[in-house]
Amino acid sequence: MTSLQNKVTELFENGTINLLIGFKEAIHKLPVPCFIDNVSQVEQLIFTPSCKGNLSVYLLKTEVKQAKKVGILANVATLRAIVQLVSENQLGDIEKTVITLDAKGELVVFATMDELEAYVQANFPDLSEEDKKLLDQLNAMSRTERWQYWTEQFTACVKCYACRAVCPMCYCSSCTVEGNQPQWIKVSSETTGNLEWHTMRAMHLGGRCINCGECGRICPVGIPVHMLTVKMNQDIEAEFGAKTGFSVKNGYALNSFKPGDKEQFIK
Amino acid sequence: MNIYNIKSSQLAEFFEQLIKSGKIVIAPVLKKSGKVFFEAVHSYDQVSTDYIQTGFSAKSVVFPKVEELFSFKKDDEGIEITNNLHTIPETVVWGLRPCDASAFNYLTEFFLKENPDTYFAVRKEKTTLIAISCAKADDACFCTSVELNPGSTSGSDMLLTTMGESVYVEVITEKGKAAVETAASLFTPGEEKSKEEFLAKVTSVFSMDEVKERIKTAYDSAEWKHASMGCFGCGACAFACPTCTCFDIQDEGTQDSGKRLRCWDACGFGLFTKHTSGHNPRTNQTERRRQRLMHKFKYSVENLGIVSCVGCGRCIRNCPAHLNIFENILSVTK
Repeated sequence: MTSLQNKVTELFENGTINLLIGFKEAIHKLPVPCFIDNVSQVEQLIFTPSCKGNLSVYLLKTEVKQAKKVGILANVATLRAIVQLVSENQLGDIEKTVITLDAKGELVVFATMDELEAYVQANFPDLSEEDKKLLDQLNAMSRTERWQYWTEQFTACVKCYACRAVCPMCYCSSCTVEGNQPQWIKVSSETTGNLEWHTMRAMHLGGRCINCGECGRICPVGIPVHMLTVKMNQDIEAEFGAKTGFSVKNGYALNSFKPGDKEQFIK
Repeated sequence: MNIYNIKSSQLAEFFEQLIKSGKIVIAPVLKKSGKVFFEAVHSYDQVSTDYIQTGFSAKSVVFPKVEELFSFKKDDEGIEITNNLHTIPETVVWGLRPCDASAFNYLTEFFLKENPDTYFAVRKEKTTLIAISCAKADDACFCTSVELNPGSTSGSDMLLTTMGESVYVEVITEKGKAAVETAASLFTPGEEKSKEEFLAKVTSVFSMDEVKERIKTAYDSAEWKHASMGCFGCGACAFACPTCTCFDIQDEGTQDSGKRLRCWDACGFGLFTKHTSGHNPRTNQTERRRQRLMHKFKYSVENLGIVSCVGCGRCIRNCPAHLNIFENILSVTK
C-alpha cells in the first residue's frame, strides 16, 4: 500500500473519518472522484499530479454533509476553495480532515484550519503561464475587440451549466438562472442570454472565485470562462487588497467593509 | 448497396461539388480551443481531417439546441402564427463517424414513431449523412460493445473508408446516390471488399446481450451510488450525446408577440424533474445518473427496441469528473 493508503486506513481505523473523498483510476486511465466509506476500498486510492479536479465541490453535497467526519484529498486549488468556503460559513459542522501532497510529494495532513490556512498562504499559487498569456491578450484588446471576443465565445455556449456544477463557489441552492418568476435570464441558449448568464455568474463570483480554473478546463465547448473571474479577482485585489481563498477571516471583498474604506457612502 | 471508389486526392473536389450543389454542408472544423466541432463550411480547406471524434454530435442538424416551433403576433386584427418550416435548408453532414450516423436511427424512431414530430421529420428528410469510417480510436470509444464498429454503415447515406490512395465508397441510400451524382465523374464502380485493415481497433468491453439481460434487475444495485456520487449534475454528457433527446419547451416574448422554443434539456439537472410544488421525485444525483444510464440500456430497448447508446465516448471525454459510462454499466450489471 502507498503511504497515502496507509494514512487513510489509519484515519478510518482510529475513527477520525467515516468518508474519504479522493481519486481512483477509471477504466480509461483518467482519475475519477471516489467516495470511500470503508477500509476495504482504500486500495483504489490514487493522488497524482493528473488529479486536477477540485473535490471541494463535493463537501457541499447532502450525502457528504451527512457523513460528518469527512476526509478529502486536496490540491492547492482545493485547499483555497476550502479556505474560502469556511470564510463564507459553508462547511457547517463537517469535521474535515484535509490531506495534500507538498512540493516534495510528501503527505501533509492538516490538524486544524489554522495549519491549512498557513500552508495555503505559504504555497499561494500564481496564475498558470497559459492563463497569464490569455489575460495579457485580453488586456491588450480594445473594449470593442473584447466584447466581440466574448460574444463569439458565448455564442457557442450550450448552457450545459458544467461551469456552475464544478464550481465550489457556486453553492446557491437555487441559481438565479433557474428562477422563472421573474425570469431574469432566458432558458434558451442564444448569444445575449448566454452573455447575461456568464456575466451574472462572474459578478456573483467576483472576489470569491479561487482561480482554480475548473470551469474553463472542463467546458465541453472550450470557452475559457474562468478568465472572467480571473480578471475580476485581479481588479478586486488591486482595489481592496483582498486575495480569495487566502484567509478564513477575510469573508470576501464585496461583502465586507472597513472603517478605512475609500468609499464614503458606508460611513 | 452500391460500391464505388474515388481517389483520396479527389475528395476535396467531391466536397466542393457538394457545396456548389447549393446545400448547406456541415463538417468537422478545428476550433481555436483545440477541439473539433461540426459547423457550416464553404470550402474543403476548413475541414478537419485529423480527429477521432467531434466535441458534440451531429444531432443538432435534426434536433437543434434551440428550435423555434412557431412565433406569434397579436394586434387589433387578430393573432398571426407562423413557423419556419419552409426555411429549413437541404443539408449535408460530412465526416460524422459511423456511431453518430447510427444514432440517427434512434433519433428517427424517437421523434417519428408514435407522435411524428414535423420539425424533426422535415430536417431529417432534408439531411444527407456522409460518414467517414474511423481509422483511429481512443480509450473512450466503445462502439464494438454496443454492436457497432468503426466501419458500420447503419444510419449513413454514404460511408467513406480511406484505403491508402483510394477511398472506398459505400452508397447505402437514394440520398447517397444523389450525392454521388453531384460529382459522378469522380466515382468509379467498385467491388465489395473487407475494410477491416483500414479500421481502428476498438476492443469490446462488454457483451450487449449480457448487459441487456442483467440491467433488467439493476435498478436497486448498490453500485449506482459508487457510479454516480461523482456526478456534478451538469448537462455536458447529455448535450454532447448523439441520442439524448430530452427537451424543454419555453415561451419567450410578451403578450403581444413571442415565440415558442424547444431547447435541449438534461436528466442530470436537478431542475429536470422538479415539480411546481417544489417536490422532486429524483432527489439526488445517484437517481439522476441511474435514469440516464437505464434509459440508454433498458428503457429505450423496452420502448423502441433500440439500445440508445452508440459508444461514441463523448460523455466520457466531456464529463468534468471523467465518469465512464461503460465502467458504470459494467459495475451495476456484474
